Formats: sequence, structure tokens, C-alpha cells
Amino acid sequence: MCRYCVEYGGGTKWYLNPDNYRDELYTSGAHEATVKMLSGVQKNSFDVGAMSIADESAPDLYSTDSLSVGMEQMIGHGGQVVPLEDALKIIDLCREPFLLMHCACRRYFGKTDILRCLYLWPQVIETALKERPWEKDSRILSKEEAKEFEIDCDKKGFLHSIWHAAVDTDGILPMVMCHCTATDCIPTKFRVSYGVINAQRKGEYVAEVDLAKCKEGCKEYPACMHRCQFGAMRYSPVERVMYIDPQACFGCGLCRPACPYGAIKLVDRSSYPSLVDNW
Amino acid sequence: MEYTHITPRPVIHVDEEACGNAILCLKCVKACLEAGPNCIGFMNTEPPPVGENAPQRLEDIPHKIISTVMVNCNGCGKCVEACPKGALTLEMPEPQVPTVRVQRSDIIFCFTLRDGTKTFPRDD
Repeated sequence: MCRYCVEYGGGTKWYLNPDNYRDELYTSGAHEATVKMLSGVQKNSFDVGAMSIADESAPDLYSTDSLSVGMEQMIGHGGQVVPLEDALKIIDLCREPFLLMHCACRRYFGKTDILRCLYLWPQVIETALKERPWEKDSRILSKEEAKEFEIDCDKKGFLHSIWHAAVDTDGILPMVMCHCTATDCIPTKFRVSYGVINAQRKGEYVAEVDLAKCKEGCKEYPACMHRCQFGAMRYSPVERVMYIDPQACFGCGLCRPACPYGAIKLVDRSSYPSLVDNW
Repeated sequence: MEYTHITPRPVIHVDEEACGNAILCLKCVKACLEAGPNCIGFMNTEPPPVGENAPQRLEDIPHKIISTVMVNCNGCGKCVEACPKGALTLEMPEPQVPTVRVQRSDIIFCFTLRDGTKTFPRDD
């Protein structure tokens, strides 16, 4: 568990703690400002605006801690990778309906529009429909449809991440789930290009390969390799197996279903003592 | 002494007046996407009005060109070529020699100097 779970987990992970889904958080403290910007008319200025100043904010690629702190303290918005099973638990913790809308990183950087942002709070729908009438492609999903959407994303190779609306003394509010890839998601690029930890934190798990099973499996053309968005999977042409680097793994679990031999599993991140501070 | 390092990267300057409402064009966005880096995007110039005067289409909102993650830019200049209004300029950083990173005050980990001298292993 990272600091978020230590301080706001209540014995579990921060995004699985029902306390963080209290209605009063939605309108309190630092959460209210982020919620208002993300659900209302200021969304574009907020999210793409933050992207547009990243280069000025990170002059030195080897030292981006200040940008990381800024994301959490000033912008009040950041993500963490979650595997499918946790994504489904998050859906279960929330009330219907859900708002499924376009992905800003794709739309505002010229890529093909796909609906990939799943907003968790029913209150968001009302504000979004009222203040952003031009977004006519958004869909309203039931709990069952939202779960089907999560499963579909997992099949297609889009990693799940849970995004908070500010960290404050009263909690950390899970606001939206994004489903993207490191090729398209600008915050994930901030993480992989600039090392901004709070832009996209690593998940609570890491993947492990059963080397004996793997060796009997794909041999020359590993079916899992293309599923990793973070370069954590390395193929050895000598042993003809895949190795996963726990230091590079984000614990998204997308490699698992791609293995036809069931050789990959997710384990708790805490099983590696070295990862205690690697988020 | 405080040490500051700036990672060199190109910078895109946009003449917003010449560009106009970016969303009606987006040729530079497309050019950068097709070239690979995908550094150029667009955003509203300010949040649109709410209520009766709220825009009904994205195209009705004034937009401007922005850039991000310019460390992925190699300066190919396709965005500048694509702009029909000459609104973009690409500023390349001055070429820089690699920085020596000092790990310990008495040892500099850079083995071959410009004149060919090897600093390691030491002969003496």
C-alpha cells in the first residue's frame, strides 16, 4: 500500500474504502473544486490546460518531484492503475448510473474518438449534461453495463486506472475510471516520460510468470508481450520464456488473459520488500 | 552551488491571432499525429458560457493550439509545413554537449576526455 492507503485506506485500499465514497466528500474541502471543474464547463481548461503547461513545469526531466506535488496539492487530480477485479469492485461500491464519455487525451490530440472515461458519481451526469450540451456522444450506463465495459476494456488491452478528485484531510475521493494506453494517455506519458509519480501511480499488484508453464507454452512468439504498456516484459530467446521486471511492472494485469497457458498471475505488491516505496 | 539542469527540447510557438479558431483547421495536430510524436493538441481559449448561450457543437467553441510532452519531438517541422496560415514556429534548442554527472566530489564518471585521455584505469 502506498501513502494513500495508509492514510485513507481504513484497512483496505483507498479506492475500496466505502468511506471515500461518502456523499459529503463530494461537496467538501478540496474535492469540491476538482469535482466542479471535471464535471462542468471548465473540464477542458482543467485537463487539457494542465497538459499544456507540463513542459514549463518540468524543465529538468531528472527532477520532477515538484510537478508531482503540484498535481496532488494544486491540481487535485491523479490516477492509480487497478486490475480488472478491483475495477469491478469499484463499480460495485458506486451508485448507478455511470457516465461514459470521450477521452480528452484522444479527442484533443487528434486521435479517433472512443468512449473511455467512466464517471462514478450520478451527480456528475446532471452537471455534465447541463453545462456541456455539445457532448452528445456521452452514454449513461447501468451497473451491469459498466461492468461489461470494464471486461471489454480488459479484453481489448486498455488498462484501468482510478482517478481521484483531490486528497484532503477528510479523505481521497475516487471520481472517474479511465481506460487507456501509455501511447495515448497524456498523464501516463507524464509518468513514463517525466517520472511524475502522482500523474499515474503504479497499482497494488505486480505480475509474476510461472517459468515452467511459460517454457512449455508460446516459445518463439510470446502472446503476452504486446499487452504491456510499461516495458516490464522481457523475452529471453535462449530460455524462450518471458521475464517480468517487478520494478517496472505497473500491476495492471493486462498480460494475464493474453497468456494461453495460464502462466501469469498477479501477486500483492507487498510481497517484494524492495517495492515498498516504488509507486 | 545549486545545480539546475534543463532537459533540451523543441518549443512550439503559436501566433493565436493568425491561427484563428484552431478547431476549424487542426492540420498541425493531424501532421504531428501522423509523424508520430503526437505532441500537438487543442483546447478551448476559455470555458464556454452556460445556459441559454451554451454552444451546441464543439466547433462553435473557440479553440487554440497547445503542445505537450515535447521531449518526444525531434523537430521534423511537419506541423509548421502543414499550417496554411504560417501561425506556427518551431524553436529548436541549442545543441548541447552531454553533461558530466558527478557522483562523488573526487571522481568524475566520464572516462574519455576530448583530447583522448582515459581517466580510468589510472596508470599510476
